[in-house]
Amino acid sequence: MSDAVLEVEHVSKAFPGVKALDDVSFRVNRGEVIGLIGENGAGKSTLLKILNGVYQPDAGAVKVDGRPVRLLSPRQAFDSGIAMVFQEQSVLSTLTVAENIFLGREQEFLRWGLIDKRRMNAAAAVELKKVHLDIGPATPCARLTFAERQMVEIAKALSLDSRIASDITILLDEPTSVLESREVELLFSIIRDLKARASIVFISHRLEEVLAICDRIYVMRDGKVVAEVPAAEATVHALHTHMVGRQLHHEYYREQRQSPPGDEVILRADGLGKAGAFRDVSFELRAGEVLGIAGVIGSGREELARVLAGHAAPDAGALTVHGRPVRLAGASDAVANGIGLVPAERKVEGLVAQFSVAENMTLSALGRFASRGVIRFAAERAEAARWVERLHVRTPSTAAMTGGLSGGNQQKVVLAKWRIAGVEVLILDHPTRGIDVGAKEDVYELVRDITADGLAVILLGDTLDEVIGLSSRILVMRDGAVTATFDAPAGGKPEQVRILEHMV
Amino acid sequence: MARIDLQAWLPILVLAALVAVVSLYDPGFFTIANLLEITANTMTLFLMAAGLTFVIMIGSIDLSVQSVASMASCILAVFLPTLGLAAIPLALLGGVVAGALGALISTRLRIPTFIATLAISGVVLSAGFWISNAQSIAITAEARDAWLGWVTGAFLGVPNEIWVGLVALAGLSALLQLTPFGRLIRGVGAQEQAVIASGVRVERVKLWAFVISGFMAALAGVTMAGRLGSGSPTLANEFLLPAVAAVVVGGTAITGGVGSIWRTFVGALIIQVVRIGMTFMGVSVFVQQIIFGILLIAAVAATMDRSKILVVK
Repeated sequence: MSDAVLEVEHVSKAFPGVKALDDVSFRVNRGEVIGLIGENGAGKSTLLKILNGVYQPDAGAVKVDGRPVRLLSPRQAFDSGIAMVFQEQSVLSTLTVAENIFLGREQEFLRWGLIDKRRMNAAAAVELKKVHLDIGPATPCARLTFAERQMVEIAKALSLDSRIASDITILLDEPTSVLESREVELLFSIIRDLKARASIVFISHRLEEVLAICDRIYVMRDGKVVAEVPAAEATVHALHTHMVGRQLHHEYYREQRQSPPGDEVILRADGLGKAGAFRDVSFELRAGEVLGIAGVIGSGREELARVLAGHAAPDAGALTVHGRPVRLAGASDAVANGIGLVPAERKVEGLVAQFSVAENMTLSALGRFASRGVIRFAAERAEAARWVERLHVRTPSTAAMTGGLSGGNQQKVVLAKWRIAGVEVLILDHPTRGIDVGAKEDVYELVRDITADGLAVILLGDTLDEVIGLSSRILVMRDGAVTATFDAPAGGKPEQVRILEHMV
Repeated sequence: MARIDLQAWLPILVLAALVAVVSLYDPGFFTIANLLEITANTMTLFLMAAGLTFVIMIGSIDLSVQSVASMASCILAVFLPTLGLAAIPLALLGGVVAGALGALISTRLRIPTFIATLAISGVVLSAGFWISNAQSIAITAEARDAWLGWVTGAFLGVPNEIWVGLVALAGLSALLQLTPFGRLIRGVGAQEQAVIASGVRVERVKLWAFVISGFMAALAGVTMAGRLGSGSPTLANEFLLPAVAAVVVGGTAITGGVGSIWRTFVGALIIQVVRIGMTFMGVSVFVQQIIFGILLIAAVAATMDRSKILVVK
């Protein structure tokens, strides 16, 4: 294995309540293109962040050229020959292309204490040539297209080449999710060129692309590497099976409690669209129903959820609640129409960490707990205590600070808030993200409670497994459009592979 | 928890220590009459700082308070002879309008409150000059006795300014502690996005916070004019820094979310005792703002957990 330029040996990493990486080993050989795939939450991002020096492993080692290294910052990773091209682009739009490529390395271009722009631009032109990008180094990045910025970012990673003598490894995190097919082709030809100088780790949801460009593929699931296959021997179907792994557990998702949807349509979307995010989305949501939305990053489902919750405005189509046309200009409109969002970023939009449990629970219905302008603290406490008991929230008291509770219990507080506010539609955006397995089952139980009480749920699950297990109907989205709809009655769940076909 | 408790009590301990130190130097300091007078002298600063507390608690800032107070004093002095008692609500209305404008500019145009209120401050300052014709306007003794007795007189041997301050303390504390509005003020300061996502119209909460700030600044200006017997477009100059310092020294977090009116009350008294202490030790009035500046920075440094703040702008 003297050929290995980057090795990860038995690396583990735990976060409170979650084991993100469990004894992961991973090797990149010189000139190799490695595919790294797995569902959301499989541990890919954590592994990348360890390689990029953002996180440090709890156990295990990272080796570059056979020597163990400690990567304490992205800068150190960069200097060790590991460059990351981010999914969320890190190109600063106020700077020029050249300034972005050499951000943080201006020292190299100083003359009399000032930056020698001409020399920097000349150096940048060399890097741009490597990615076949035909733009001037002095162009402000604000004028570039998304794809061009991605290329600038890759050029930035490649600039390592001229800087360090050792081998370089470039980590590409979902580089194609924003690219058109022509641009993907260009990227692939660049990757093939690069193989002479660098090794590549290619992370993508698009399995066909992974198969097309990679030499070897690692599949991750639940924080572990579950398969390592040469691309020549792999098929999309086989990779799916590795990614998904286990069969559906009917009991895990409380399938026996899944009720058939009622007759009454609560929420209806007609040709809903938002430029650059999704288009022509139509559906009906009935009382007692769980409508799952499946799709990868970039499918538009996150934006759709935000539009339905009033956090963003659609630019096409119509929404009706109980047959009434509504316009949601803000979250307050959505709440007034009985729609509540349980956000993925719990501590940002879900709750006020500094508030007590009771204060968070009544936040959306504060007016009801006041008479003549004064909060009825006793009534508020009593209502909060009722929900703490009903949802089994583990908290010292209703006066305890919510920020001190575990993720699962915080999630219950958010759910209690919406139940107290009396919403009819709950949008659950990754409701089990970052909470441990036991608490996940609690959340599944709560979803069944919610629908049993006649509410409707729109679910963006953390995994496809979860979406299938919980939903009574599944909307599949790809590149902003609905590509399929599946009925998922209890006992008649669609197969993952069939849904995946419409997702990627 | 121990740290939080200490932070809550620290301002009172500091105040007690300061009073003790000054008393040692000046035996005449620690007498009922003197303490009453000092407290009375603190009230204009407290009124202004109490309103400002709402704005700082939502994580914003109102830089227009001193100009608003000056303008209010001018409105009062100009209109008292003709309008009589009605000049007082008119002066307060000026503050309300200035506060509301600052909030609307900030929320509608999405401009940081620091810029919006800095701009309003300039407008209001000029308005004061315009109303007063750029000069100090005396309030006659008769007018003062007729309309401003609630400021200048005394009740039960206690100067009325203190009563005004105590009423403001009780009223604003109740507003902050007991009402949904007060709850939302804390929520907006602590985690605005979560409050928005909960369906609260946060712009309204902000609007009211700034209206209260403007109203209290104007009330401070009216009180000041009553005490000094005149209104002037520069009456409250040099009040902004001590007012912000009073809020923060009292233990209200400059980042929002945590704070109370009684803390600001204690903070204002600390500022006042420091001022008196400095005067007593012969520190020039002109140097005092240096001390307030240092005090402000020290208080923010002591009360804020800066390790969690990623970027300071």
